[in-house]
Amino acid sequence: MNDDAGNPFAELLEEYVAECAPLAEAVGDTLVTLERRWEEGDPADQLFGTLKGSLHTLKGNSAMMGLTAIQALAHCMEDVCAFLGERPDLRPSASGLLLRGAGVLVEMVGRAARGPLSADRSEAFISEAREFIQTESVGAEVSAPYPERRRFERRTGSEVGELGADGVVSTIRVDARRLDGLLETFGETMIAGLGLREAVRDLAVHHRGAGFTDLEHALTSLEKTLKRLEGALMATRLVSIATVFGRFNLLVREVANAHEKRVRLVTSGGETQLDKTVIDRLGEPLVHLVTNAVIHGLESPEDRERAGKPAEATVTLSATQRSDRVILTVTDDGRGLDPERILHKARQLGAVAADATPSREEVFAMAFLPGLSTTERVSALAGRGVGLDVVANSIRTLGGSIEVASEPGKGTKFTMSLPLTLAVLRSLLVAVDGERYAVPLGDVAESLRVTNEAIHEVDGHGMMFWRGQVIPVSDAAEVLGGRAARSSRTYCVVVRSGAKRRGMLVDGLLGHQDVVVKALDPSLGRPPTISGATILGDGRIACILDTARFAELRTTEAATPSLS
Amino acid sequence: MNNVKQELKLTARDSLLTFADDVAQKGGAVRAEEAEPERHLVIFGLDREEFGIPIARAREIVRVPEITRVPQAPPHIRGVMNLRGRILPVVEIRTRFGLERAELTPRSRVVVVEAHGRMVGILVDVVSQVVKIGESAIVPPPDEVVSQRADYVSNVARVGPRLIILIELDKALLLENVSTPAPLLS
Amino acid sequence: MSAKPVFLVVDDSRLHHQMYMLVFAKGALAGSTLLHAKNGREGYALFTTHPEIEMVFLDLNMPEMNGLEFLERRRSENLHPHIPVVLVTTEDSAEDEARGRAAGAWEYLRKPFTPAQLTELVERARARSVRT
Repeated sequence: MNDDAGNPFAELLEEYVAECAPLAEAVGDTLVTLERRWEEGDPADQLFGTLKGSLHTLKGNSAMMGLTAIQALAHCMEDVCAFLGERPDLRPSASGLLLRGAGVLVEMVGRAARGPLSADRSEAFISEAREFIQTESVGAEVSAPYPERRRFERRTGSEVGELGADGVVSTIRVDARRLDGLLETFGETMIAGLGLREAVRDLAVHHRGAGFTDLEHALTSLEKTLKRLEGALMATRLVSIATVFGRFNLLVREVANAHEKRVRLVTSGGETQLDKTVIDRLGEPLVHLVTNAVIHGLESPEDRERAGKPAEATVTLSATQRSDRVILTVTDDGRGLDPERILHKARQLGAVAADATPSREEVFAMAFLPGLSTTERVSALAGRGVGLDVVANSIRTLGGSIEVASEPGKGTKFTMSLPLTLAVLRSLLVAVDGERYAVPLGDVAESLRVTNEAIHEVDGHGMMFWRGQVIPVSDAAEVLGGRAARSSRTYCVVVRSGAKRRGMLVDGLLGHQDVVVKALDPSLGRPPTISGATILGDGRIACILDTARFAELRTTEAATPSLS
Repeated sequence: MNNVKQELKLTARDSLLTFADDVAQKGGAVRAEEAEPERHLVIFGLDREEFGIPIARAREIVRVPEITRVPQAPPHIRGVMNLRGRILPVVEIRTRFGLERAELTPRSRVVVVEAHGRMVGILVDVVSQVVKIGESAIVPPPDEVVSQRADYVSNVARVGPRLIILIELDKALLLENVSTPAPLLS
Repeated sequence: MSAKPVFLVVDDSRLHHQMYMLVFAKGALAGSTLLHAKNGREGYALFTTHPEIEMVFLDLNMPEMNGLEFLERRRSENLHPHIPVVLVTTEDSAEDEARGRAAGAWEYLRKPFTPAQLTELVERARARSVRT
């Protein structure tokens, strides 16, 4: 991917991102703090110095890696800082400009390891910054001449020239739809490969000998190549989440200002990569969560101080990769969710029986019910009054799950688990009622053999002991709308979604398989427990279980086996 | 435009004939007078009734493949099938038309059609014929047909003693409204 | 020169240390030993205790004692004056380079530099030490 063979340090690109992505994020964070200090009339020279140091390091590192677009961007931001060094009066009005630059910086650094960078956004910033310096310098000549103005003009001018002349790395823009088409074709190839493998396995019963061994070897090498192709193809689609995080500094600032909150945004793990499709569709739910956190989750600075908290609240966005999933969190240190209020509303909506006494966790899970959060969380700035149910739905359509934990007075934490890629899924194939289903392997806590005696009836619900705890158990056939005959189900797959576990009784475990995920036609409705389908090696179709939905089934929906 | 149409008919017909083997045996496409405009239709049977759809809408007629049930799918969906790597819904058109679910027989077929820009399989009891029918044989549906099926019956065609019900596919396969999730409370 | 040559790299960027490692792992410099320090203070400590160092690559901008402060301290203490120190700067630090030279830097190296430039500096310093 690093076709800039000209750079002697190209092999250190990953290392570059690892070092510079946090640095770029730090630039954004420092600026957010600086902006407030400047508005309060504090020149904050020391922090300003830190900012300049970070930019300088970013510039040097980018230059060493031959990433001239980032180099030019960092250089230009340094110029703006140098200009502001001489004109402290302009600092408050320039912070927005610098923050925009920081956003671009975060995004570009995050992308650096994934091939050629487009300089479009950095160039746009550079011309904006140059205009700012020029305009302000001209204005200043009357009152306070800016002695080194000419230096700036010269430098920014040459920079643009460099950018134009030095094409960085040969870039090819590819229509994302073409990439999708490629992926689809790859999926078909993979299915054909699976079919071939099954045919060979069948043949193996009757044939042996050198010729057959050759065939097997050829097939094995084909499979290996396919695996590599998959990796390469996925890599072209991976985008660092910094591209999404990058927008939040500005957003949080605006929302906080509009609502008279003092908020510090902390991001971590911006270098974590996800499939482009996931990234594209992740922005909106994250914006809702963060906006909601600032507007509704956080107290006013005065209230916070009265409660013994720092006046400045913290909202944290973090991403980490855990095997083939990415865990995203949005945390605030605000007032927390009110379980009483949620329960009250859930009762009003008839989502929970009047006499039920759900646990606190169960109550928080209700926050995602349709209609529950919408009225509570309408905001002019968020535009529409989007409820948490909509957020949860967007996450689920991405094959992900979401949960919330909250401590009254301490804060709220939303945790999302998302697949790295939407195209290929590592799965466990199970047999249920004559059909095969694919269970996402990342959601399988354990699969085990069980006997009827291991399942206990409690209030008409199936329960079992598992690793020292009691977990609910459902007959998969019944949940999936088939015939119920529990006695025949001899295997249990324990699926998880966040902290939730549920045992799923199935007829058989058919092994692990990478499957190519295909969306279901809209005319199939939106079956709640199915997230898609795949074609298996024998050409037959298996539905893919939406494990998160399965794990989160409420007891009433869970269709505990009836013994009729 | 006419040339294109002709070509399309030919290729569509070729593939139809390959798959619908019993159609070929019956042969005998009904011919009307030379000059009259014609409609080229695929005729299929459900129970004792015959239905027709324009041949241009039928992509393929295939023997019933393995159909995988989709849990919690709407009632008129039989399941999904694999058509050369594509996953298509298979519509139980009988229940949509108020009949019992189909029993699969060796004569059962799936007619793959395009509706609402997507490919959908329709499960039918039998594909009886590919016919050309003169426009003069196509008339508005009689009252008893209209009353029950006004929404998807466009016309009927009389071919000798037979009455063929012409279906408006887009309406007959307007399935989404059944499964659209309830609007969010606000 | 039978013992392995030893070089000291003082830089607050991990990335740069890896770049030096890449260069010193190859060609004429293969087999060298690299000492790493992440700021001027650590670097000065290593510099004090390793008189066998052949050359120092000293970054200009660092927290906790920058490159200029390093050089000034060495000059005031007259510590290992024979060891050439290369001040590593960026393209717009001409002023600092002049100050660096004044403070006793033997040469300066501007980022972005290439492996060849680095090797050339080492060879130039060796030629110099043979002459003197």
